[in-house]
Amino acid sequence: MQKDLLLEERARKVSSFNGIDVYQIRTGKFKTNSINIFFHDDLKKENASKNAMVPAVLRRGTVSLPTFKDIALYLEELYGASFDCGVIKKGERQIIHFYIEFVSDEFIKGEDNLFEKAFNLLYDIIAKPVLENGIFKNEYVEQEKNNLKNLIESRINDKVQYAVDRCYEEMCKGEPFEIYDYGAVEDVGKIDSKSLYEHYLNFIRTYPAQVYICGNVADDVMHKAIQMLENLRVENKTLQEGGKKINVLKGVSPDSFNKSEVKTKNVTEKLNVNQGKLSLGFRTNTPPDSNDYYALVVYNGILGGGIHSKLFQNVREKASLAYYVFSRLEKFKGLMVVSSGIEIENKDKALDIILDQLEQIRAGNISDYEYETTLNVIETGIKSLRDNQISIVDFYLSQTVAGTNDDFKSFAEKIRKVTKEDVIRVADKIKLDTIYFLTRS
Amino acid sequence: MNTKTFEYKKINEVMHVYEHESGLETFVIPKKGYSKKFAAFGTHFGSVNSEFVVPGEDSVTKVPDGVAHFLEHKLFEQKDGSIMDKFSELGSSPNAYTGFSHTVYLFSCTDKFGENFQLLLDFVQNPYITDESVEKEKGIIGQEIRMYQDNPRWRVFFNLLGAFYKNNPVRIDIAGTLESIEQINKDILYKCYNTFYHPSNMVICVVGDVDHNSVFEQVEKSIKTSAKMPEVKRIFPEEPEEINKNYTEQNLSVSMPLFQMGFRDIRFNSKGIDCLKRETAVKLLLEMIMGRSSELYNRLYGEGLINNTFDFDYTIEENYAFSVFGGESRDPVKVKDIILDSINKLAGTGLEKNVYERVRKAAYGKFLRQLNSVEKISHVFLAAYFKEANMFDYFDVYDKISFEYVNDIFREHFNPDNFALSVVNPV
Repeated sequence: MQKDLLLEERARKVSSFNGIDVYQIRTGKFKTNSINIFFHDDLKKENASKNAMVPAVLRRGTVSLPTFKDIALYLEELYGASFDCGVIKKGERQIIHFYIEFVSDEFIKGEDNLFEKAFNLLYDIIAKPVLENGIFKNEYVEQEKNNLKNLIESRINDKVQYAVDRCYEEMCKGEPFEIYDYGAVEDVGKIDSKSLYEHYLNFIRTYPAQVYICGNVADDVMHKAIQMLENLRVENKTLQEGGKKINVLKGVSPDSFNKSEVKTKNVTEKLNVNQGKLSLGFRTNTPPDSNDYYALVVYNGILGGGIHSKLFQNVREKASLAYYVFSRLEKFKGLMVVSSGIEIENKDKALDIILDQLEQIRAGNISDYEYETTLNVIETGIKSLRDNQISIVDFYLSQTVAGTNDDFKSFAEKIRKVTKEDVIRVADKIKLDTIYFLTRS
Repeated sequence: MNTKTFEYKKINEVMHVYEHESGLETFVIPKKGYSKKFAAFGTHFGSVNSEFVVPGEDSVTKVPDGVAHFLEHKLFEQKDGSIMDKFSELGSSPNAYTGFSHTVYLFSCTDKFGENFQLLLDFVQNPYITDESVEKEKGIIGQEIRMYQDNPRWRVFFNLLGAFYKNNPVRIDIAGTLESIEQINKDILYKCYNTFYHPSNMVICVVGDVDHNSVFEQVEKSIKTSAKMPEVKRIFPEEPEEINKNYTEQNLSVSMPLFQMGFRDIRFNSKGIDCLKRETAVKLLLEMIMGRSSELYNRLYGEGLINNTFDFDYTIEENYAFSVFGGESRDPVKVKDIILDSINKLAGTGLEKNVYERVRKAAYGKFLRQLNSVEKISHVFLAAYFKEANMFDYFDVYDKISFEYVNDIFREHFNPDNFALSVVNPV
């Protein structure tokens, strides 16, 4: 096939069965191909840590490659293929992710079938874990429990991200969104091999799944992969009895948005830090599947989405208060955060300037430069996603979570159509919920 | 016009080069089908160049720490406002980074490449620095330094460099310190600019779906200087052949200890393909000794002494070279003991050839993967360029490197006398 025909990076659903959707993204411009598999669950306390534990234990060994070392050796033989797995939080959904990326056959003349070897490994990691007395190996489970506890605790290490996460957490107390991506230390403690294995069986039988195959992959190779995936749910036939119902992928739950107006919360946290971190959490009251969502993206761009934004220009360039300041959307839950690192004594000054920028947009003070530039910057950003396999896949994954059906082109077109009036309209719905400050102890 | 084209058939890449009469070289690496176009304009001036002799002068110039980085910030300011605004208007994102050895100005765009490229060529050649804007920038850079003070990964790394070196400026934070940036003024910045931002000390690299001829024509029209400039004499302080100290620690608010350790190279050739060879050899060795497939990694992981964050790297530049490996551990000292013991044993039994071959094959694939990203290509390309080497030479190195050579480097680099450990402990 001519390479130029493969240029369009669009996800095409090629098959759907047993709650598994398979997408192909054809492109010939990369040196590598990749396979991504996602399993979806609602974000809930009783499952969060168990879901995080599943990939951590699965990656330790399969029936045919029973140790971490065996898997590492296998990956090296595949020209240093890169494998990873873990959990992702998108709104109030927790997604278990498995990924492998490997060199395209054309660059390793003389050897081929890298796709099949890579796919088999990913499949085995998910479906054929090494077992001991019919359940997960106790040694692996205990070690990974420790690692997971450490991982959860180590989130204080990255203060920039910590200040954002903690703001959302305080803001969403009592809502599922407050649950950390990897769950909680006390829940990890309650897990044992048996309960985790039972959870795993439920996961593999019932969690809606999506498979994205990206790169220059021939049709017959795709076909073979799909055939294998058809067995995923029934791998362990004796345990399949009782026929658990496979969940169906739903869009964003409307419950995520049922939050009537609240009084602004103030939270101060003390750690041994040099720099203060100020985070402001907002409710946008704009779901990702509404028409206003595109206006919200533009709003965020004008407010704090880059060096042209009001926050960068006023907090950093004019007032010299910060090195970094940004605003960022949490698309699926309809939240927005503004965050900045400042001298501790400058907190009130920074807060005033930040809130004033929001007020300016609400009052319609958006210059043509700010508006035009934001549209251009967002368009460049969307086009740029097409140059990275992970970004391409994440874009389409996000569409399914949001319950929308955009591709790069339609998304860009909808952004182009957003007017200043639209931006002012969504600005009016944005409500400050929580002011979080990380300061010196 | 003096241009050349190099084809790398095996990996399906092409590189075009044009040398301007000033000595400035421009490289274009076309990436068909990519949306993003990436251009970088770099100078061989980084955080370690705080002492030098300006061509034509006799005396040594000493500048405060953090000048290269400060200049990087200030170059974005132009007579008619910030150049960033103009890039933004075109929808592109300008950026810059300062490393130990070089400073790079760059942008990535999807449309109007020519206009963006013109902005880059113009602003890097036209500094506009005022006393007022220098003072204003001190507040911003001050907060950048503060942010890094609270970043334990950054701290544990620089503390290790401080253990390796007593005087070498590589031990100092790239942005300088809150005290050193106070001493920076307009005159110092202009002096550094005039010394290091001559086209003959610079390079341009463009990656993306662009026409190389128009890139070269634009460069020819826009570079204002035609004369070559004599090389700047860079001065590095005397450094003892012993490491400064073998252990260093600091307390920060972290959940469990972070550690980095490694070996400092004492004698090495840091130029040309020899440098790439050495770099490749040490990286292969690290992979063989402590990579995911090694006995050592699996033992440490199995005993709960390291976790997923464990990683390693090797840096080699003009005046310093070192390996660094580490992550998080409840007992970094025990990790150190086990690693050193294992290296010692390996020195006795010798390296295994089949392990070497396997790791080399994997490293080739990983290197190839970098060519997926226009940013990554530019980044690796420039780093190699300032070592007087070419990024595509790496493929040759992977092909031709020998087991014997890797063995020699093993004995040379992994010398316990040149070893140091840096730990950041919880408060």
